[in-house]
Amino acid sequence: MNEFDVVGKSVEKIDSLSLATGNARFTDDFRLENQLHLAILYSPHPHAEILDIDDSEARKMNGVVDILHYKNVEGVLHTTAGQGYPEPSPYDTVLFDRKVRFVGDRVALVAAEDKDIAGKAIKSIKVEYRILKPILDPEKALDKGAPRIHDGDEFTPIPVKYSPERNLAAEIEIGFGNLKKGFKEADFIVDEVYTTQFASHAAIEPHAALSYLDEQGRLVIITSTQVPFHVRRIVSMVLSIPVSRIRVIKPRIGGGFGGKQEVLLEPLVALVTLRNKRPARLVLEREEVFRSTRTRHPMRIRLKTGVGEDGRITTLKMDALLNSGAYGTHALTVLSNTGAKVLPLFNKIENVHFIGRSVYTNLPVGGAYRGYGATQGYFALNQQLDIITRKTNQDILKFLKDWHIREGETSDVFRALGEGKEGVSQIIKSCKLDECIDRGAKEINWYEKRDKKIRARGDRVKGVGVAIAMQGSGIPMVDMGSATMKMNEDGSFNLNIGATDLGTGSDTILAQIAAEVLKVPVEKIIVLSSDTDFTPFDVGAYASSTTYVSGGAVKKCAEKIKGQMLDVASGLLESKPEELIIADEKIFNKKKGKAVSFEEIAFHSLYRENQFQIQAEASHFGIESPPPFIAQFAEVEVDKRTGKVDVVKFVSAVDCGQPINPKLAEGQVEGAVINGISYALCEEYNFGSTANLLNCSFWDYKIYTTLDIPEMVTIIVESFEETGPFGAKSVGEIAINGPMPAIANAIYDATGVRLFDSPFTSEKVYNRMKEEGII
Amino acid sequence: MNEIEWFFPERIEEVIEILKKDKVVPHSGGTGILRSDFRRIKGLIDLSLLSLDYLQSNNGIVEIGAMNTYYRVVQKLSQIAPNNVLIKSLSDSASTPLRNRITIGGSVAYFPIWSDLMGPLIALEAGLSLIGEYKGDYPVLEYVRNRELRNKTLITGIRFKPDNWDSYYYRATRTETDYARFNITILLKKSNNRIENVRIVMIGNKERFKRFTALEEYLKGKNIDRVKIQEIGKNLEVSFAGKKMGSPEYVKHLAGVELERGLSRVLAIS
Amino acid sequence: MMEGIFRINGKEKRFTFNPRSRLLTVLRENGYTEVKEGCKEGECGACIILLDGRLVNSCQVLTASAIGKEIITVKGIGDIHSPHPIQEAFVEASAVQCGFCTPGMILSTYYLLKDNPNPKEDEIRKALDGNLCRCTGYVKIIDAVKLASRKMGEK
Ligand SMILES: Cc1cc2nc3c(=O)[nH]c(=O)nc-3n(C[C@H](O)[C@H](O)[C@H](O)COP(=O)(O)OP(=O)(O)OC[C@H]3O[C@@H](n4cnc5c(N)ncnc54)[C@H](O)[C@@H]3O)c2cc1C
Ligand code: FES
Ligand code: FES
Repeated sequence: MNEFDVVGKSVEKIDSLSLATGNARFTDDFRLENQLHLAILYSPHPHAEILDIDDSEARKMNGVVDILHYKNVEGVLHTTAGQGYPEPSPYDTVLFDRKVRFVGDRVALVAAEDKDIAGKAIKSIKVEYRILKPILDPEKALDKGAPRIHDGDEFTPIPVKYSPERNLAAEIEIGFGNLKKGFKEADFIVDEVYTTQFASHAAIEPHAALSYLDEQGRLVIITSTQVPFHVRRIVSMVLSIPVSRIRVIKPRIGGGFGGKQEVLLEPLVALVTLRNKRPARLVLEREEVFRSTRTRHPMRIRLKTGVGEDGRITTLKMDALLNSGAYGTHALTVLSNTGAKVLPLFNKIENVHFIGRSVYTNLPVGGAYRGYGATQGYFALNQQLDIITRKTNQDILKFLKDWHIREGETSDVFRALGEGKEGVSQIIKSCKLDECIDRGAKEINWYEKRDKKIRARGDRVKGVGVAIAMQGSGIPMVDMGSATMKMNEDGSFNLNIGATDLGTGSDTILAQIAAEVLKVPVEKIIVLSSDTDFTPFDVGAYASSTTYVSGGAVKKCAEKIKGQMLDVASGLLESKPEELIIADEKIFNKKKGKAVSFEEIAFHSLYRENQFQIQAEASHFGIESPPPFIAQFAEVEVDKRTGKVDVVKFVSAVDCGQPINPKLAEGQVEGAVINGISYALCEEYNFGSTANLLNCSFWDYKIYTTLDIPEMVTIIVESFEETGPFGAKSVGEIAINGPMPAIANAIYDATGVRLFDSPFTSEKVYNRMKEEGII
Repeated sequence: MNEIEWFFPERIEEVIEILKKDKVVPHSGGTGILRSDFRRIKGLIDLSLLSLDYLQSNNGIVEIGAMNTYYRVVQKLSQIAPNNVLIKSLSDSASTPLRNRITIGGSVAYFPIWSDLMGPLIALEAGLSLIGEYKGDYPVLEYVRNRELRNKTLITGIRFKPDNWDSYYYRATRTETDYARFNITILLKKSNNRIENVRIVMIGNKERFKRFTALEEYLKGKNIDRVKIQEIGKNLEVSFAGKKMGSPEYVKHLAGVELERGLSRVLAIS
Repeated sequence: MMEGIFRINGKEKRFTFNPRSRLLTVLRENGYTEVKEGCKEGECGACIILLDGRLVNSCQVLTASAIGKEIITVKGIGDIHSPHPIQEAFVEASAVQCGFCTPGMILSTYYLLKDNPNPKEDEIRKALDGNLCRCTGYVKIIDAVKLASRKMGEK
């Protein structure tokens, strides 16, 4: 294996001590003098036209400074999805519309001297609504005569299928081989429908944004975002102010998981600051985060597979319906990912057809969420494979090994399905999935437990289930990251990156990459990230891109620095650069037995001769997106009398290439797994009679605590991706894909019932057992 | 929004005077007050200076001052009545930091439908000491049923006999730290192979709480081997409202199963 | 408005506050932003502090009821120049991802280890039951508590 000095070591996360001592600042921790506090009025109706807004009462209130709504704010169509430009999401949103499309849609905003006043003022705004018929069932959104949710000038900035008149937010269709032929060759057909639910990202820090004007009158936005550069661009567009007049700073962020890849609050604080020439602060309450921000897109996926008696899959049809909610944020790309990140894993299926539709409904709005459509797709496919292998009496582990994509192989899907356009074809260069399956199976004791229905305490039965998955590493030919570096007198280096650390540790691993190139300890790399004035461009933290794409930029940049240092050293050591080696913060000519320290190089270049700043910049975009792979195993106990499911052990074995920082990589897997288990068993949105979210609090939207987690094992399998920085691939998203299907398969193993509809609440499992006559 | 006035009395007599004011109520942990957003409150009486945090055993009666937190009750009761059902019910309640804040007095007065305190208190047939408008000692059931007793009245403490009965406590939750959809308290006294006495209380059903007196009567005096546990859950007379943790029908089924399990456990039959 | 004196991280402070206010809000307004707000429901634990030595959710405490009391925040047990062993343990165990839950987690750990220097795994889990973390899956946090217990044992 490769020998590294800094890469592959679990160095301490560079910001962790400042976080652990309470020093590090999050958005709401910044003080502003003379600030205005903002409060938002939300729609109580799922679908209504606003006939009039009367804010006269509110304006009279002491301390109310400004009120915004459709009457006084220009409606610029845009998407809140913080994606690259032009965005693959439809422009179907304005800051304040004449129409509301879900309970929680924005109606008006008050800026006041304090929070209480702002809160009181929004209550005194009178809104006259004309109630419209809502669409609450995505299956009915495309029906003839269904109410139309978007009936203005909305459009898509890229040429893709979009028919708001039919409530169709996106549609994709691809196919290979011959579906009909495939079904003909089949001995039987497995045709099942799987549905998944709404879920909140539940980052513990609520969304927050601040803004103020600096000494020169430029707008500064401090915000809890995953995409500072997209924030700058979208704010510029929505408020018609030049990019040059905006600076966006991302401080420490309290988790994102996709929920902060949305430009929701920034235009509002910015607008208030610009109108009133005063700083503005908007920090959402937990209830508002649930009600008004973004969720995981619920999906209905129908899988129809043709299967031979010998267990061969002759054909696969995937039909996905994505409930986009009131707006089309990520509606196309999450949908395409359901195919693009799932189907290539089983590249040996010859006849494949994928059709997906995203529809508007009057429900909360879907957005990016860790896993990004792949999670929903893998829920369906991993269960379908469990069904098929059971029907054909095959060992599922062996089956998975036979059918998954391997090194040196490709899939037509890579080329056919991209982000709103064709994808990029690629050949898999690293895939250690067999080893993941083997090591995971051993850890869970697969063959001792599978099909054994072992009795546990009381009325409980044990079962085990498996799921495998892949993801990507950035969006190829789209995502770009960049870095600049310079050298200081003491042989330390500033590393400035646009990349956005949400708590994932990307600042640290990017520093490790730079440190590895320069053979210095991480402490010698001073990282500044995500400040649009001081750091170069980066698309931001999404699509599992940071390690691979931004990491690629950092590596290139550090190599340039190294080149310049070698040049200086070769003068000082009177050697050719090729004769020199770098180690221990020195440059050596071994033959001559001479060395010069980094410090000397820096001093020389800065002060002595042919002075110049050793500095460099580099940009990088992936020409492919090498997938990480994972095999995940759940062991559950199901209470046969009540249907209660407990996950007792969960094993993940992952191939993420060379982990830059193994503990941080494990942390990504562990966090995603617990989120995934919690999503599988208890997270869901409960709606009231008016499509209002009932459980918009942690009181009733339950996420896992220390007392709920199972025994967790995470195995990082040795692997090396030649196209990645020091062999790395991504690891941030992939591990959320397996828990739901692995648990569903384990429930089947324990009880003999299939859960086609998540989450697997006790009542659902109980009812399924009754339906199937098991109890 | 009216301004809230705070009082910090040091003697009970002062409290009695302050309680006479309009809409001035006690403040203990404050968690319930915050949840109800100060509804119908103009003033708050802080009780922390009144030494209401005693917990002692006197002539076989346990007395717990109203200002004890759940945590303190668990700590101290473990020393004097280690098998008491309150130890289990309160240590599983809410979370570590909340158990340090939630008080006995506030929790009796507030009596939420997820209360982990009230089931055991009803089963223990605990009594309350009140001062103010309705001074005196009252059975906890009477306090619960007669809302009038809350008016301008302070709970100073609770009392019960910590009989060494077998006990069982169950909370139905979605995650471990969830509030309970319902909970079950069973106290049971056996002698030889006979059920000498039993009390069964559920919190969280449609009527807020229920003591299963008919079931208790059926069980009392029975030989343990003769008890048909399997019939009990199905025939349980209780109903639920709302959809938390599942439909009312399912929750009823769950309640039946868990009650049967609880009985099996205390009867030590499997 | 009301006024009161509080002892915060060893220093006396006088605050003016609304009688309805939560201690969390008043602390944050007065610069103690290491106390985080994640929900104001008592569910997430980001706002945890020690109040007269007891671990509490500062969002569930009315400020008026804390007058005259001793408050300790995560800054009160160690700072970046001389961190507490628990803070070091969280760093070394990679238990800090976004760090938003971390001040609360560390104080819960502090409160646990004070009375129980060698906790068992289930005691650790119970002690952290009031702290939500969405990033870590808790695995490394539990490791950090064990590490902290060892570190403090050595001192
Ligand atoms: C997130 C969360 C989770 C919770 N989970 C649970 C749980 O699982 N199980 C559980 O049992 N509880 C739980 N609770 C606690 C419960 O909901 C109440 O908040 C609590 O019982 C109230 O107690 P307190 O001491 O805070 O009362 P306070 O808020 O101080 O008072 C509540 C009411 O009682 C009155 N009052 C207070 N003291 C007295 C007195 N001595 N005499 C007369 N009246 C008085 C007050 O005026 C007020 O009307 C939880 C609370 C929270 C915030
Ligand atoms: S903010 Fe206090 S518990 Fe969440
Ligand atoms: S580290 Fe992010 S919430 Fe715990």
